[in-house]
Amino acid sequence: MNFYLYLDKKTPIHRLDPRTKLFLLISSFIVATIQQHPIFALIVAMPIFAHGVLSGSLRNIRRIIGLLVAIGILAALLWSIQAKGVTPLFWKFQVEPLLYGISTGIKIDSMIVAGIIFLSTTKNEEVAIGLVKLGLPYSFSFAFCTALRLAPTIMGTARMVAQAQKSRGLDLQGGGLLSRMKKYIPLLVPIFLTTLRYTNQLSMALESKGFRAMEKRTFLLEARFKARDYWITLGLLLVLALVIFIRIKGYGEIEGLLL
Amino acid sequence: MKDVISMWKYTKMVVLVAVTAAVYAGTAIPFKGIQIVPGFAELRPAGAIPVVFGLLFGPAGAWGSCIGNVIADFFGTLGIGSLPGAVGNFFFGFVGYKVWGNMGWLSSKADLNIRTKRQVFEYILVAVLSSVTVAFIIAWGLELLKLLPFASIGAVIMTNNLLFSIAIGPFLLLLLYPRAVKWGLYWREIIDNEMVSRAIMPRVGALCIWVGALGGLIMGFLLSTGLYHGQLFHFAKGTTGSGVVLGVLPFLLLFFLGCLLS
Amino acid sequence: MAKALQVRNLSFQYKGTDKKVLNSFNFDVEKGELLAIMGPSGAGKTTLISTLNGLIPHLIDGKLEGEVIVDGWNTKEHETRDFATKVGMVFQDFETQLFSTNVALEVAFGPENLALSPGEILRRVRESLRSVGLEGFDEREPATLSGGEKQRLVIASVLAMESNLLCLDEPTSELDPMGKDDIFAIARRLKESKSITMIMVEHNIEEVLGADRIILLKGGKIIAMAPPKTILREVDLLRETGIRPIPITELFVRCRSKYLPLTLREGLESFRKEGWGIDEARYLSLIERDSLRASRYGRVLIEVRGLEYVYEGGLAALKGIDLQIREGEFVAIVGQNGSGKTTLIKHFNGLLVPTKGEVRIEGVDVRQTDILQLAGKIGFVFQNPDHQIFAEKVIDEVSFGPRNFGFPEKGIAERVDRALAAVDLLDSTEADPFSLTKAERQRLAVASVLASAPKVIVLDEPTTGMDYQESIKMMELVQELNKRGHTIVMVTHTMWVVSHYAHRVIVMKDGKMIRDGKTRQILSDLDGLREASLKPQQMVEFGRALGDFAFLSLEECRKCLVP
Repeated sequence: MNFYLYLDKKTPIHRLDPRTKLFLLISSFIVATIQQHPIFALIVAMPIFAHGVLSGSLRNIRRIIGLLVAIGILAALLWSIQAKGVTPLFWKFQVEPLLYGISTGIKIDSMIVAGIIFLSTTKNEEVAIGLVKLGLPYSFSFAFCTALRLAPTIMGTARMVAQAQKSRGLDLQGGGLLSRMKKYIPLLVPIFLTTLRYTNQLSMALESKGFRAMEKRTFLLEARFKARDYWITLGLLLVLALVIFIRIKGYGEIEGLLL
Repeated sequence: MKDVISMWKYTKMVVLVAVTAAVYAGTAIPFKGIQIVPGFAELRPAGAIPVVFGLLFGPAGAWGSCIGNVIADFFGTLGIGSLPGAVGNFFFGFVGYKVWGNMGWLSSKADLNIRTKRQVFEYILVAVLSSVTVAFIIAWGLELLKLLPFASIGAVIMTNNLLFSIAIGPFLLLLLYPRAVKWGLYWREIIDNEMVSRAIMPRVGALCIWVGALGGLIMGFLLSTGLYHGQLFHFAKGTTGSGVVLGVLPFLLLFFLGCLLS
Repeated sequence: MAKALQVRNLSFQYKGTDKKVLNSFNFDVEKGELLAIMGPSGAGKTTLISTLNGLIPHLIDGKLEGEVIVDGWNTKEHETRDFATKVGMVFQDFETQLFSTNVALEVAFGPENLALSPGEILRRVRESLRSVGLEGFDEREPATLSGGEKQRLVIASVLAMESNLLCLDEPTSELDPMGKDDIFAIARRLKESKSITMIMVEHNIEEVLGADRIILLKGGKIIAMAPPKTILREVDLLRETGIRPIPITELFVRCRSKYLPLTLREGLESFRKEGWGIDEARYLSLIERDSLRASRYGRVLIEVRGLEYVYEGGLAALKGIDLQIREGEFVAIVGQNGSGKTTLIKHFNGLLVPTKGEVRIEGVDVRQTDILQLAGKIGFVFQNPDHQIFAEKVIDEVSFGPRNFGFPEKGIAERVDRALAAVDLLDSTEADPFSLTKAERQRLAVASVLASAPKVIVLDEPTTGMDYQESIKMMELVQELNKRGHTIVMVTHTMWVVSHYAHRVIVMKDGKMIRDGKTRQILSDLDGLREASLKPQQMVEFGRALGDFAFLSLEECRKCLVP
């Protein structure tokens, strides 16, 4: 079973400097969240989706399309119940909360998609180099990208443990709140202990391969800001400035929405 | 607080950071779906991890919670709000091992093999403090960034994290601590003693942490609900007002002072 | 000539324990030598390896006495990371040594730590990958490789450090037979082409024939150190040290021959020299016994029809399986990794639900029932016991299942006692499960299934990581359970285990069953084995070379042998 998202392709997005990709991700998040109106949310969702197409990440997005739809609809429903508006639609529903709900659904989906694209186009090692180039110490960057790498592995371990304990009759459903919480103990403990063993083995393997033997290490992958990185960064800055400007001017709000 | 820097010299501690972060993210991500439901008291077992791993792995647990939270955010909710999230989760894992054994007569003067009533009591205190800490830091940060009102988000974060920490934390420690010690992974045995910060005033530090965190959260709630009519748990967006940010600030500073002293 | 390695009065004791794991070791290793280290679990093999690059004492706490000198450096005086260019370490569990996004970056990790230039790193990546036959794999993701390829990648990543001493700790114990062969071929090539000194911990006896010397360890002491030709003939000594002797050698030792062979060819020669023969009538009685056993099976317990299974990502793991398993059978399922064995057995207790076709347990479609009800009928022992062990005490671990199934509290203690007695862990009732050895933990996993008294026991790779004696103990336990009426379904790579214990063998390849029949028939079907990339058993091959005999063990051969 493959839990890793990275797709080995040679698209222009893959070839960007990791810092640019990180900036792309963060910009996507900011742009996606800043406006209230679903029209704006949709407008923002489109370039994010285009980014996905351009970077060949559709395969990973398709894998979770059902989840995205479910999350979108659920979020739209729940957030529209929470808010209040002024224009009645039918029965207890009002226009503004519904718009707000739809926009929130789109925003949450956009953010998830942006995250998936980043992980589909960026190797863990690139994340590490990116962080080092941004001035963070290598040990920290290594821990960060190893964690990124390990998280899906641990989800895999969790699945195995769940299978093993279910085979021994563990039933997560049913029971009161406290007893249901306690049922996580037979699940969590083997996951943790397996991981702790791994800690010792990985530490030994790392030391044996000269981890931190030198003051500074080198990298096989190069990370250099090239012309296209500058252009994209510049473009993103302009987009961000524009979006923030529009927001400050008061556009993109749903009038009459009460939170 | 020197240990949070000096620990990076130890390969095992670096790996423990990665492992804590991965476990935290790996057990939080499957529950992400629930988080998009506004105000829902998101019940995720991951909530117990920073407290337990902080006690076991010390600074590696703190860094791991911080990084793990950022990684979990990669799957959906990364944004400006991840910044207070990262800081809050760092201290979520940090305060536990700092105050353990440093709370005077409240401390059990025993190890992490939670068996006696006094140990359970000390653990519950630590779990409460940790949950209060993460709640007041994140709530303050989100209020400062004008993203979410202090009262609602603070209450939600605190209860979510506290429930699992208290319900299963003591059992986890009972099952994990002896084995961590046996496998040479208890943090005090990894880090050379002279490397561990000779805490300047550990008890005063612990007191400052308690007063800062608890005071900060209570002050935030009072200001947010009283001054601006916000509601605990009630879900809303935006801000309740700069009064909350200013009112909580002194407690935040006291809290940081406490961290430096311990 | 300078020594590659000098070990002087080496002793070691882990922190918090009261026994020395290594007890005054003294030996030297010459440059270019291939040294094999063998011994039972717990003999100190891994501990010894860990002293060679300073993991002991720098990363692992304990009391170290004596000296280890590698290429002139004392391990006490230099950190482990400084030995990175002197000693290459390949650990047993390859999964934990792979942490990069692709193959090239995995190999580059070490040289990057040495701060070499990108050009030099690339050269080393290329050369190391060539040495292990992974050229062109640069961009592959390690997780998508087979077990054998993963271990080869680990070796490449260590070779890239260009150290002159390479230590391998049971590099093949988790691999299927073909994967094992690849690793040994690489080891031989490295020894010949690069004159690298190698120290290899190994269980597999046939494979250490190429070593220059073997060190036998037991209880933290060196009990023998000699060339393989000498040691491999010491059959009793090998058995004592938890090593499975070469069957052909053992056969001739047991028959008191003076011509002790080490290979099949030598065996045939010795057989001729001794002037022995095979009694056909006795052989036929073996076959009759097989048939008699098969006629005693009861009703059908597991029935699979047209079973197909496709994983979420679209991978078709099972492509049409039809089979029946009757009460009292002992079935082994064999095949390469990825052939669908584990996917198949996970259908038996409802962990997986068929994409197409059906699985019936005692006539009930698994879709109509749930895992909790099935778990009472089908006990499942997973490959890795550590994926389920959580309790503080052995007794709690074993009671977990029966409690979940809601058995009356009064009967549980008795069930637990009986289960623990069956796996010989009654003395450890109050112990911490993690103070047990790997083999004991695996038996504990069996006990925790046994306590619910299921009709069928399904075991996934029950002997992985065990030495010979432990494997025998495990399999005798399984055999005993079978005799007491439990139906056994077992997935395994260990062909001698299949040969000695299973009644019936199912061979899988690419999601299909390519053979299904009595053990004797399947194991002597050399084409079928080859098709599934499985190696024939030496005794079967021996019998085939002598006539149309298929011996499943050397005891069978001995019974039919007429001097």
